[in-house]
Amino acid sequence: MMKILFAAIAMFISVTGTAQLVSTLVVNAQPPAQLSEWGERREVLTLIVRGAGAIAGPFKVKTEIKTLDGTVIATSDLARTPVFTPNTTGTTILVANDVMPLEFMTFTGKYQKSLQRTGKLPADNYTLCTQPVNPVDYRIQGEQQCKNFYLATTQLPILMKPYNEEVLDGKKAQTAIIFRWSPVVPTQTSPVTYRLQVFEVLAYQNPVQAVRSNQPVLDKEILAATQFIWQPQLSFAPRESESEKLPTFVWTIQSLDKTGLPITQTDGSGEARSEPIIFFVNPDKTKKPKKEN
Amino acid sequence: MMKRKIITSSFFLCMFVATSLAQEVDSLLNKVKDKAKEKLQISGTMGVTYEGYGLSRSPSGWTGYQPRRPWNQVRFDFKPTFNFSKNFSLPVNFNFAALPTNFAGPYAGISKPTFGQFITNPMNNFGLNPKYKWAELQLGTQYLNYSNLSTGDIGVFGIGFDLRPKDFLFKFFTGVSQQGIDFAAGPPSVTGAYKRKNWMAQIGTEKDGQYKFTLNFAKGKDEPASAAPPPVTVRPQEGIVISLVSDIYLEKGFYFKAEGAQSTFTKDVATPLTSSIRSLKPFIEAHTSTSTDYAAQASVGKKSQKFDIGVMVKYLGAGFQTVGYPFLQSDRLDYTLNTKINAWKNRMNIVASIGQRVNNVNNTALKAKQFIGNLNWFTQFNDKFGLNVNYNNFGFQAASGLNPFGIKNVSNDLGINPTFSFTGKKIIHILSMSYNYSKYDERDVITGLTTSNNTHTALVTYVPTYLENDISPDFSILYFYNDVPGAKITLATLSTALSMNAAKKKLKLRGQLQYTLGKLNSFSNSNNLVASCNVDLKIGKNLTWSTFLTTNYFKYGDEIVPNGASYVETTSRTGFQYRFDTKKQK
Repeated sequence: MMKILFAAIAMFISVTGTAQLVSTLVVNAQPPAQLSEWGERREVLTLIVRGAGAIAGPFKVKTEIKTLDGTVIATSDLARTPVFTPNTTGTTILVANDVMPLEFMTFTGKYQKSLQRTGKLPADNYTLCTQPVNPVDYRIQGEQQCKNFYLATTQLPILMKPYNEEVLDGKKAQTAIIFRWSPVVPTQTSPVTYRLQVFEVLAYQNPVQAVRSNQPVLDKEILAATQFIWQPQLSFAPRESESEKLPTFVWTIQSLDKTGLPITQTDGSGEARSEPIIFFVNPDKTKKPKKEN
Repeated sequence: MMKRKIITSSFFLCMFVATSLAQEVDSLLNKVKDKAKEKLQISGTMGVTYEGYGLSRSPSGWTGYQPRRPWNQVRFDFKPTFNFSKNFSLPVNFNFAALPTNFAGPYAGISKPTFGQFITNPMNNFGLNPKYKWAELQLGTQYLNYSNLSTGDIGVFGIGFDLRPKDFLFKFFTGVSQQGIDFAAGPPSVTGAYKRKNWMAQIGTEKDGQYKFTLNFAKGKDEPASAAPPPVTVRPQEGIVISLVSDIYLEKGFYFKAEGAQSTFTKDVATPLTSSIRSLKPFIEAHTSTSTDYAAQASVGKKSQKFDIGVMVKYLGAGFQTVGYPFLQSDRLDYTLNTKINAWKNRMNIVASIGQRVNNVNNTALKAKQFIGNLNWFTQFNDKFGLNVNYNNFGFQAASGLNPFGIKNVSNDLGINPTFSFTGKKIIHILSMSYNYSKYDERDVITGLTTSNNTHTALVTYVPTYLENDISPDFSILYFYNDVPGAKITLATLSTALSMNAAKKKLKLRGQLQYTLGKLNSFSNSNNLVASCNVDLKIGKNLTWSTFLTTNYFKYGDEIVPNGASYVETTSRTGFQYRFDTKKQK
């Protein structure tokens, strides 16, 4: 009786151990350049694994990143990657942290250096390939699946006009102030909303303090354009006649995606806010007031 | 309504208290002077200001124009410096507001702060800096600028010191730059933030006008469990930066300044630890989201009364990030040449700069270049005629990436501003004219077509200055025209202002009136009227009461729906300021 039982178990292990797995890989065509960000966003990478007509056993995922000419620049260290056990439905869904755990990935040469210095790979087209393998001897348990993707860091707008520390003529500024900035690079698949904000810098504040503290005197969302003409409708009379400090403003652009979220969340402040710059308004050009804060 | 009443009552109570307090302080100081005859000197200011804002929109229910100031706000300011002796002083810096108004950054959306959130909110400062000889103790809110690449933009509430024995520098500060703030989907929505602790230190040597060598260290670390629910768009971070500064000032105005820095920054401390990225133990341990990169800046040049010239180079690696400058945009190389010339007995001033910014130094992004050129040339030809010419150019280009064409945006501005003045027996007439042409070209990355955006601005200002009178009026007329495919904007503005002194110069008055007629394409005109006045009254020797009132009426044409929508917004600001001014007692 015992012999029959052992034989049945051995047969079961043999069948499940060699069972072929069918996988489907879905990769975002333009994922975040910061590789560590992939794990936080489920839509970036999904790998669906299921057994092909047999009960599937445990497996590991062998992952490779290649350049378009086929050069392998990163491989997963199978000795350390996690083992997955198919669930009772027979279908296992894996995401970026499972398929491409950065702590178990080995990158080569300049790619390793780039990742260490910037958390990103050089801007280029890449191919991501995955393949289920046996967790013990790494025998192949299914076909390799590959998907191309394009990596380029999202560069936030650079503020162009008014330029940093520009002194505007109060008589012109009270009618209109033109704001210009560079677009988000690379051009996004859906139009970017630029949230232009202008803050007044109070007497005791530094510019960044004003950005982080005050209600903006202008808060405007502009879709896909990089210029805005503002009619301030403000009176630019000096508030402190004794100190003769020029009215000071700080402006910034927040870049938002189609859902209204910051277009990049891992660079700088996490708010996709461009580096703020200040401008002054000189209400009376016949005087030469101080512009320092 | 109740809240408004409370705030208004509080304000008037505060004003009463402030006035009483000012008198009390005066009285107290006199007693101190008479009785103790101590060597106490107090300088600085204190005050309280109320700001009120109102917005009325028509038709009722239309929300096309949003309020842009807090409805009510009271700001307190207490900034005296107590000099107890030649060697011992106590500067105080307390300024804070009653209601939080944060729109950007970690405190955005917060309405009912805890005590900890209130004192660390960047809109409030509570700082004490007692100083004895070369030793300064730093308590409370401090904005410490150690260097351009380490720390400088962020206020930290904590404790530290700044010691300067002889030519040496020893600085240390630790505290909290933001408290944990729970995320709230709203409304009102709150972005949320993790509590961040900061540490910074500097050692070095400095001799004013000769040299400065310092080693700087700045660290910040978020506490992941400090916000529940946690922020959605921000991850808990940790970072340190170490920088070395060397500034040398030579004879004849030559100078050389340089700073090199290395940052190790973890963008998400929840990511797994890794050995494949170098850690900097015991300061920071590497996670898979950690990067270590470099930055440097250097400038060399010469300064003199008549001629300045300097070259500045700044490099920020793509992975360089510091908690001391949260908005710093990395991955760039800037280089600029700046010059300033004063000639013709200071009647001619030229300020010019030319340079370039290159993004994507580390090839992690598409290559982007920005050309920068500025020129401002002013000449006072004689007593009657002066001319100012300015030119600015900003050009931005980026590679095409997946699109057929790359980005190319070029902005050019040219301004000419002649000023005439005529002096009579009782009046000086100043006539200033200005013309500005601004051109902005933008290339479409799909079609490759470039669209031009042209703006013309013309301004004439007349300022009569009365030699025997305190009245100073001015008048101006402005024409603005912007032309871009699909939209033509025309604005015409008439404005006048009048300022005068009264009541033996104890009362300063200033009023301004401005009317703007606007037109977009063939839509009907929009109308805008802005009126404002300032009243500054000197109540006593050291006490001033300042009031500012402004109202803004704007009526749209039929360019928006509903046609003819309008709004009126009013801003009022009134407050008392007391200036400490005790003479040193012997």
